[in-house]
Amino acid sequence: MSEKILAEKNLIVRHRTIELVEHWAIAISGLLLLVTGIFELPVAKRYYIINVPGLGWSADFITSLYIHYAAALVFTVAGIFHLVYHGFRGEAGLMPQKGDMAASVVVIKSLFGFGEEPPMHKYLPEQRLAYAGMVIIMIVLVVSGLVKTYKNIYAPDMSLPVVLTATWAHNIAFILFFLAFLAHMGAIALRPNWPMVRGIFTGRVRLDYARHRHSLWVDEIETAKSPVRELPAKETEDALQSPAVPEEAGPDSRMAEGRDTPADETKNQLTDDRGQNDAEKEKPT
Amino acid sequence: MKSRMKSEISRRSFLRIAASAAALTGVTLPRAAQADPDGRLSTLIDLSLCDGCVDRKIPACVSACKSINKNKIPAVADPIPEPWPRKTIEDWSKKKSVTDRLTPYNFIYVQKVEINDGGSEKTVFIPRRCMHCDNPPCATICPFSANHKNKNSAVAINQNQCFGGAKCKDVCPWEIPQRQSGVGIYLHVLPGFMGNGVMYKCDLCNDRLEKGRLPGCIEACPRQALLIGPKKDIEEKAQRRATAMKGYIYGKEENGGTATLYVSPVPFEKLNAAMVKKPGQPDMQTIVKRRMKETDPLGKAVLASPVLGLAAAGLMGWFSKRKESLKEGKKDSV
Repeated sequence: MSEKILAEKNLIVRHRTIELVEHWAIAISGLLLLVTGIFELPVAKRYYIINVPGLGWSADFITSLYIHYAAALVFTVAGIFHLVYHGFRGEAGLMPQKGDMAASVVVIKSLFGFGEEPPMHKYLPEQRLAYAGMVIIMIVLVVSGLVKTYKNIYAPDMSLPVVLTATWAHNIAFILFFLAFLAHMGAIALRPNWPMVRGIFTGRVRLDYARHRHSLWVDEIETAKSPVRELPAKETEDALQSPAVPEEAGPDSRMAEGRDTPADETKNQLTDDRGQNDAEKEKPT
Repeated sequence: MKSRMKSEISRRSFLRIAASAAALTGVTLPRAAQADPDGRLSTLIDLSLCDGCVDRKIPACVSACKSINKNKIPAVADPIPEPWPRKTIEDWSKKKSVTDRLTPYNFIYVQKVEINDGGSEKTVFIPRRCMHCDNPPCATICPFSANHKNKNSAVAINQNQCFGGAKCKDVCPWEIPQRQSGVGIYLHVLPGFMGNGVMYKCDLCNDRLEKGRLPGCIEACPRQALLIGPKKDIEEKAQRRATAMKGYIYGKEENGGTATLYVSPVPFEKLNAAMVKKPGQPDMQTIVKRRMKETDPLGKAVLASPVLGLAAAGLMGWFSKRKESLKEGKKDSV
């Protein structure tokens, strides 16, 4: 099911099933890799983790390696599938765009009550930057991990500079991956982002939320009746300069000017949306 | 870069150094081993020849090893930082003279085993040190690659990179590496929370090998019970000796194969049964599986995973394109 508006349910399809599968395959295997990666350090005995019920195996490095390999298999397949499949289809909505850095500052400030958010696409500018960062970290993890795996099986006497480079690249990327994971969880904890959370479980988010926060995305679906078309950089910059309502968007996608809280604004929007959308049927794009 | 340069210098000057060393000491690696400095070496320990140097206070091999490595460990921090939360500190700095077990200051010891062989009492002396496994889990699983298997078979720990977590000791079937707390890089990071010293063990005198010289223990053995040479030659020699004495070999299959072959006229089951395993005094279990081998099939699947990912993406891409073109075809026909 591709992106479309389900007006009578006040929902909009944000992710296809394949994207949900990719996300959760990478998330669950990534989490397992983090945990077993930590257990590959000699910490389980020292920090009494082995005494935690169910974690008696945590000091057995070979058991951890089993799980690490199994998770790495899923992680690598899902990661490469994601890059190649979406690259092949030209789906580049998550790729960073010019001006994302400045836009991220504006958005992050607005999350803490300083200024207002500009109208946004399907993905927030900081999401696009975080995505690029995560892709780089994952590539380093996968490549260095493959070198280490090859060494474990076939070449224990591999050239020392190669082994040391792979080891330290893996260790540093592991720390960055852990920090990125914490940042990801931190972003979810921010109230304005809460409505997005259901999207990564069900593939759908509330239409009223999308209208007030991702108005450029909703506009594109409504007007073009096609999957997301990213605006050119110039248009994005203009949007940042003047967070005004695009003419074609109509009143429903107006930014929350003078709102008290995002929740209040969403509530108001919801009332308006229902008024207008009652007559609308499901709109495939 | 530095190690590459070192390696190149070593290669270039290997024969020259070896020849000089031969002239000076009269003791160098066998010619076949010299001809290929990157070739895999192996050692042979003939238990029918080792008498434990009973006429000496300390066996010659132990004495030579201690002498070569006497300045290896730097000064130990005083006081040694207390690790948190488990407060294990291993300090051998005041017991450097211990020679009847493995310690951070003693990389080889001679195990004395009393057995009853066919009704007669026998004493067997067994020099014990790192076996230098062919695929050593201690090295492959080290989280910082501080422990490394060299091309010449020597498994050596770089004390400047080791955090002393003792993971290598945990995965070694013989628990060979020994920890000295209060030294090493961990002192400069988070000594209370991460690391606990440096692990030490025999490195087959790798520095000496690179210069074409014999490991200290082999050079010092007065009965030539210890030998070193190209792996294949040593394996053949061990087999010949075992056949001649109707004896047994230990180390060829254990833990997936090692670069240390013991040849004994007494079965190793019998020797092992007479041993009492204690810290720093390993036993000689005759069935020693390389546990990491069990993970190899899954590891091979990981190596294939990029291809699997590409294939899945190609297949899925083809399906979705086909689906879209079918949809478009339907639209056109309407």
